Amino acid sequence: MASHVPPGAPRPASKANNPPSSQPPTNFRANPDSLADNLHNLNFNSAPPRAPSPLPGTPFSRQATQPLPPSVSPFPPTFSHPAPFASRPPLVSSASGGLASTGQPVFASGALPGGQQRFPPLGSAPQPPVRPPPTMAMATATARAHPQPQPQPPTTTSRPLIRSSPIRTPPVQPASPFSVAPQARQPPTTAYTYGQPTWPLQPGQGAPPPPITGSPQPPRMYGMPPPLPNQSMTSVSPAVRQTGAPVPGASKIDPNQIPRPIPGSSVILHETRQGNQANPPPPATSDYIVRDTGNCSPRYMRCTINQIPCTADLLTTSGMQLALMVQPLAIPCPSEETVQVVDFGESGPVRCSRCKGYINPFMKFIDQGRRFICNFCGFTDETPREYHCNLGPDGRRRDADERPELCRGTVEFVASREYMVRDPMPAVYFFLIDVSMNAIQTGATAAACGAINQVIADLPEGPRTMVGIATFDSTIHFYNLKRALQQVYNPLMLVVPDVQDVYTPLQTDVVVQLSECRQHLELLLESIPTMFLENRTAESAFGAATKAAFMAMKSTGGRLLVFQSVLPSIGIGALSAREAEGRTHISAGEKEAHKLLQPADKTLKAMAIEFAEYQVCVDVFITTQTYVDIASIAVIPRTTGGQVYYYYPFSAVSDPAKLYNDLRWNVTRPQGFEAVMRVRCSQGIQVLEYEGNFCKRIPTDVDLPGIDCDKTIMVTLKHDDKLKDGSECAFQCALLYTTVYGQRRIRVTTLSLPCTSILSNLFRSADLDTQFACFLKQAASEIPFSPLLLVKDRMTNLCVNILLSYRKFCATVTSSGQLILPEALKLLPLYTLALIKSKGLQTDGRIDERSFWINYLSSISIPLAIPFVHPRMVAIHDLNSKEGDQPLVPPVISLSTEHVNDGGIYLLENGVDCLIYIGNLVDSDILRQLFCISSVDEIPAQFVLQQYDNPLSKKLNDLVNEIRRQRCSYLRLKLCKKGDPSGMQFFSYMIEDKSSSGLSYVEFLVHVHRQIQLKMSS
Amino acid sequence: MDFIELEAIEGLRWSWNSWPASKSEATALLVPLSVMCTPLMQSTELPILPYDPLLCSQCGAVLNPYARLDYTSRIWFCPFCYKKNPFPRSYSGIGETNLPAELFPTYSTVEYSFLNPKLNGMSSPSSSVSLTSMSMSMASSFSSTSSLSGLDSLRKVVGPAFVFVVDTCTAEEELGALKNELLLVVEQLPENALVGLVTFDSMVRVHDLGFSECSRVVLFHGEREISSEQTQQFLGLTRTRQQYLGKTPVIQKQGFLLPVSECEFNITTAIEEIHSSPQVMPGHRPLRSTGTAILAALGLLEGCLANTGSRIMVFTSGPATLGPGIVVDSDFRSSIRTHRDLINGHAPYYSKSSSFYKQVSPRLSDASIVLDLFACSLDQVGAAELKDPVERSGGFMMLVESFESSQFRKCLRHIFSCDEEGNLKMHFDATIEIVTTKDLKICGALGPCVSLHKKNNLVSNNEIGEGGTYMWKLGTLTSKTCFSFFFQVNEEHKVQPGSAFSIQFITRYRHGNMGIRKRVTTVARRWVANNSPEIAAGFDQEAAASVMARLAIQRAEDCQARDVIRWLDDTLIRFASKFGDYVQEDPSSFRLSSNFSLYPQFMYYLRRSQFIDVFNSSPDETSFFRLMLNREGVVGSLIMIQPTLLQYSFDGPPIPVLLDVRSISPDVILLFDSYFHVVIHCGSKIAQWRKLGYDKDPNHENLRKLLEAPEVDAEQLIVDRVPVPKIIKCDQHSSQARFLLAKLNPSVTQNSTYTDGSEIIFTDDLSLQVFIDHLQALAVQG
Repeated sequence: MASHVPPGAPRPASKANNPPSSQPPTNFRANPDSLADNLHNLNFNSAPPRAPSPLPGTPFSRQATQPLPPSVSPFPPTFSHPAPFASRPPLVSSASGGLASTGQPVFASGALPGGQQRFPPLGSAPQPPVRPPPTMAMATATARAHPQPQPQPPTTTSRPLIRSSPIRTPPVQPASPFSVAPQARQPPTTAYTYGQPTWPLQPGQGAPPPPITGSPQPPRMYGMPPPLPNQSMTSVSPAVRQTGAPVPGASKIDPNQIPRPIPGSSVILHETRQGNQANPPPPATSDYIVRDTGNCSPRYMRCTINQIPCTADLLTTSGMQLALMVQPLAIPCPSEETVQVVDFGESGPVRCSRCKGYINPFMKFIDQGRRFICNFCGFTDETPREYHCNLGPDGRRRDADERPELCRGTVEFVASREYMVRDPMPAVYFFLIDVSMNAIQTGATAAACGAINQVIADLPEGPRTMVGIATFDSTIHFYNLKRALQQVYNPLMLVVPDVQDVYTPLQTDVVVQLSECRQHLELLLESIPTMFLENRTAESAFGAATKAAFMAMKSTGGRLLVFQSVLPSIGIGALSAREAEGRTHISAGEKEAHKLLQPADKTLKAMAIEFAEYQVCVDVFITTQTYVDIASIAVIPRTTGGQVYYYYPFSAVSDPAKLYNDLRWNVTRPQGFEAVMRVRCSQGIQVLEYEGNFCKRIPTDVDLPGIDCDKTIMVTLKHDDKLKDGSECAFQCALLYTTVYGQRRIRVTTLSLPCTSILSNLFRSADLDTQFACFLKQAASEIPFSPLLLVKDRMTNLCVNILLSYRKFCATVTSSGQLILPEALKLLPLYTLALIKSKGLQTDGRIDERSFWINYLSSISIPLAIPFVHPRMVAIHDLNSKEGDQPLVPPVISLSTEHVNDGGIYLLENGVDCLIYIGNLVDSDILRQLFCISSVDEIPAQFVLQQYDNPLSKKLNDLVNEIRRQRCSYLRLKLCKKGDPSGMQFFSYMIEDKSSSGLSYVEFLVHVHRQIQLKMSS
Repeated sequence: MDFIELEAIEGLRWSWNSWPASKSEATALLVPLSVMCTPLMQSTELPILPYDPLLCSQCGAVLNPYARLDYTSRIWFCPFCYKKNPFPRSYSGIGETNLPAELFPTYSTVEYSFLNPKLNGMSSPSSSVSLTSMSMSMASSFSSTSSLSGLDSLRKVVGPAFVFVVDTCTAEEELGALKNELLLVVEQLPENALVGLVTFDSMVRVHDLGFSECSRVVLFHGEREISSEQTQQFLGLTRTRQQYLGKTPVIQKQGFLLPVSECEFNITTAIEEIHSSPQVMPGHRPLRSTGTAILAALGLLEGCLANTGSRIMVFTSGPATLGPGIVVDSDFRSSIRTHRDLINGHAPYYSKSSSFYKQVSPRLSDASIVLDLFACSLDQVGAAELKDPVERSGGFMMLVESFESSQFRKCLRHIFSCDEEGNLKMHFDATIEIVTTKDLKICGALGPCVSLHKKNNLVSNNEIGEGGTYMWKLGTLTSKTCFSFFFQVNEEHKVQPGSAFSIQFITRYRHGNMGIRKRVTTVARRWVANNSPEIAAGFDQEAAASVMARLAIQRAEDCQARDVIRWLDDTLIRFASKFGDYVQEDPSSFRLSSNFSLYPQFMYYLRRSQFIDVFNSSPDETSFFRLMLNREGVVGSLIMIQPTLLQYSFDGPPIPVLLDVRSISPDVILLFDSYFHVVIHCGSKIAQWRKLGYDKDPNHENLRKLLEAPEVDAEQLIVDRVPVPKIIKCDQHSSQARFLLAKLNPSVTQNSTYTDGSEIIFTDDLSLQVFIDHLQALAVQG
């Protein structure tokens, strides 16, 4: 088979054929690197096994190799039998398909729709010649490999089977990340090696590789990465197939063979554009380094699909979402070039005079550079005289490479006067602390004061940094920080007793330059907890206090950080303990349960809008042991660009450290004030909606009193016209903001993506992480307003519909018995399952926890969103066992009980919580080394990670620190043991298990498959 | 007996000492039947009785020398209602030769001192026995204050409460002076006195003196009018309600009003930490929320149930520009109201603010709180609006230019002066009750008091001033506070000329040591037949002038000055024609007997005075003058109406001279006293000598003595006066001499034919001579 495939062969053909129609090949550079890293998706297509071939020895990265072995064993059997799941590469159809078909069964994950036949479009496109099985080969092949034990030294993992990932072995990227070429060429051979096994099958099926010819395009489709010339057709790879299932029944699916995420260990180098083509970005959750070559770094903005469908119909057919995830201030990797600042002086940046789009690399200069055509509205503008430059022979301005705004996807302009309604605001930080009886007694006040006290040192230096502080219970207490006259600072507390109709002292008294009052502030913070030690006021006037603090900083705006510990029970925006009420009226509760996730009333919303108007951004740190109605409280941070932090149940032992770190990150992370953001799109596409934490007063812009590097805004898009196939569609996000040092800046992020009218291209270029993040956010925004079952159904349907579309129009396999997954989206079912089982979608969860879940998602970035619902689990009891320079984070373990042994210790983290599960039979020596306890029974309820003097402990600390770094979060650590609520909590994250909250992973796949079959037949 | 001597005994001045027996005749007297009463007049012979008074069970009158006694059956007959009352056991020893002090004929005034916590332990049997009956009668007769007595017996002795309300918009130096004074006051306060501190600018801050961790203040929004309940809720003083609900009585310790002994350090710190509020918008007055500050202080006192007598002392330096009681906008473009604005209705806030403060009065009175206003400002501060509560509660009002002035300092020290026992010389929470015989009725009172609206059949429907009651509440009173009470003949009661009638004044007050005292004055006068010469003989022209002055200023509150003057003139003319001795239509035949002779002159000066003629005063000043007049005794009132003028010369001892411009002479020194100002005016020659330094020349010892004499006397004049008058030393022809010239009778003006070398006054006002001429002419017309 392999021979057929000869990737090489098809290539040429494809090139010849397609060139025009499918820009692909050229555009996409196969980035070996990316491939390497990525698990499944991208790599698949591009780098197929071939790559490896050249380097027989090395080819397989550790990971890659590993997979094989295990797989091997299982496979054999498969061989004979059809594998239930076939991951199939689109093009490969034939190959994979073949396989699949052979096996009666069932699921074939076809990355590429194999069904050229079926799908005309494909055919028309380069595809006709179906892709060579090669790719498939790899994946499947590997899987099947049975015939010959892999040449590689497969290590362990079973997963490999499923995914094509192994293939990407090439990860070698090392040297020439960007030039894929070489590899591409080879493929044939390599393919061979890997593919061989597969091929054989095919013949049987009769699925001839011949289609090869058409192959070229396919790669494109994957578009993603590496459209290696040869491989065009990537393969099915990840398809879920039940290798081992001799039995046709879905039930026979081998859990070891189904798609699972496999983290890449190596860093991918990514150029945003290559050969004047957009280069599909590596997965958001992978480790990558970007070189901005025209398009913005995917960190700032990425699209759910890396090719834009030309028509709305095409998009609808695909079942996918078209949306942008914008994270305008995302932190670049240290080895990336920083965003360049361009100063156009008084005249401000060059903009299109019609649509006001900012100058970017995709504006086309014509007429000797005297005019330029806007890539958004198509208008021809005059080049400002002082900006004029002649064009070179290539039609580009001669200075294009020297001017960041003409060669970089992301630049920052210095805002001129016209962008300011007032002088840039100072950096104002106002701390508002709950000192009601509960807060004092639980230690929350002390923790907050302590955290603030430490953080003061981290606030931006300089005269522009102002601080204020207030505390509240049933009244609000401001502190005059200005009183420098006495030798001994005696704080002056100003109590505002009216919590129905609040007011504040003079702003000049309570919001003061940090440099003037640093010592005072420290003294004050030290004394606050003792000052209220005897406080017997249980009431808390959160709403009034927030409003009062707002009024104190109204004239400047700024950040308001609120530390709240109990349910706001008095004053403006007082809330009732409706969770309890809901419980007592169970009958009503069942139906209306979701209403508890809606804000209780409009007061807080109205307040929040006012805050936003005056550029006050509110963050709420909830340190509580009871219900506080986050659903209502969260309205304020959500509307003002802030966020909710939730410490439940608050522990004075273990939480202060996290509180401090969260607070510290909150004030030190890159951020901006008084921001306005707008996204512009090329003609044909327009913004449908923005979602995230902001305030929207006019339809086109979002107002962000505060914006920071963690905040992501989802921008859903819609067609208002057809796009031209082969053209590019550009998106530009402009963020006007004030830095903490008081400069007004405009950060402009531009992304230009190709348009396509081919459905399979959409599937190939789908960005799983982004799509799923988009799902998550939609689910989160829906939960408060629909019954839970509906939401679950809708989420499942979203998933089913995409797969259905792929199955219907792109997959080659005709047998309905197989579940075929697009390579790029092969993890979609797993993630969907995770979502359905997540806290937010559980009825039995605490209302607050669910509200927090919902709110946390509203602004979360993609790299954090995925682990949040699909946590990462690693074993830590054997950290010591592996020596050498292995990565800090040990291999990930699937979220299934069967991987959790009583003799092991496992760490599970989702970016917020970190659970450490200690099995019953763990070696006490390990326990002693790690936690300084001798038996499981001694596990402390409140855990503080400490480093002991032994290598194991050090490794654990290193690991945790690494995770903290990755997640930009300190994590709430908790020890769990079996047979204890903490253990239950741990096991509730075992998504792949069957549980009261849902199906097991395998069952879910079957369920999805049935749904597809049902819809296909109807 | 001279009226003044009589006053020294009774503390009373009667406009008429003999009253006609019919109502019509009484009305024809023109000057009403009235008594100027100084309840706490100092008297050397005042007997203080350490037991409870014996009350008539029917009319509540106190046993007095006019009662008829039956020693054998141990009964006394109330001289007012004629009810028989038995003597209690403690009076068992009573007999012709063994009379208790209150029955001594010479003791028309006695004072009972009882319920004095300090004396409780060693009180005589009589007083302890009567305790119960006393408290019962208290409950019935003093319902508004009954809570006090109950509380007192339960609690330890709590001193009076003082809430200092300080305006922090004051300039820093001024504030410094004020702070020093306050610190001094606090230092000298008795230990059991309660203190509170409220500061305000655009916000009102109530200082928590019981919080040791840091300085703590509760903030009130300056623009909001807060109710008493709100204030207490905001200050966390709402304990009683919770108790009623059966919840655990969380008696939160409040720290806003504490005994000096507990918070001396904190209040001292708090006062020291008061700083001038920065930032005034250019072109604007500082934002002051005086009204809200007063409300906050009031709410605090109400909440602390400290109605054992307390003072809210407002120290301000400018007008309220914010919130309730606003006087003027903060923008300098709108100027502060003048009398003209008030007349023309161009004072947008005046009536609203005045009525706001009028609503404060009853609250002050109910809680026995005194409101004092110390305004140290060059401009007006809104005293006119604030006058009502200050006056009715008996508080001080003081308008000076600076907190650094000695006037202010002296005044404050005077207020807080203590007696030998270390008790404040302050009398709080007083009431005056009048009991009369049935042949007369009580019309009302003028003075710093509030009617308690307690009626009995002695109360007339014809109200004058605070009427409709036989009992009045006084927030505080001093030994000089003087009230005028008005009476009328009870027509229903056939009055026999020649018979006697009596009036008893029962003044109950809280002494500086927080003990309750009752001073009882019982007097009797005779009814006389109509047209009896005794009527004229009993005319006290000084008392009459004071009474008329009070009536006039009361009228002036509501009417324009010219209407008041017309009323005064009209009354005077009719008075003159009634009591004058003349031949019809012959002005030159007009004569007045000696005890009437000065009356027209008083009226002349009254109608020219700043009380009626407001042309040269601001509304604030007018309010102040009227307030002072309304509480001053006869002697003081007369000085206000017709200032005194003494002449010092080499020719002999000082002599009183006519209040006339002709009295000015180059070689004399004049000492002028108008009560509010004391002017030492040196004739031009004397001034010149002084400038040449002759007074320092031993050869001209007599010049030095001449110069010193008036100064010594001036000091003497002001020593007891509160607020302390301003002493002005000036030379003839200097600008300051205007204080003198303005008051002198302009007998020589720019229009005079013969100036005779005398000083002249530029004015079109008519002189006394012209006035008298007209009066004579009009009086004789019939």
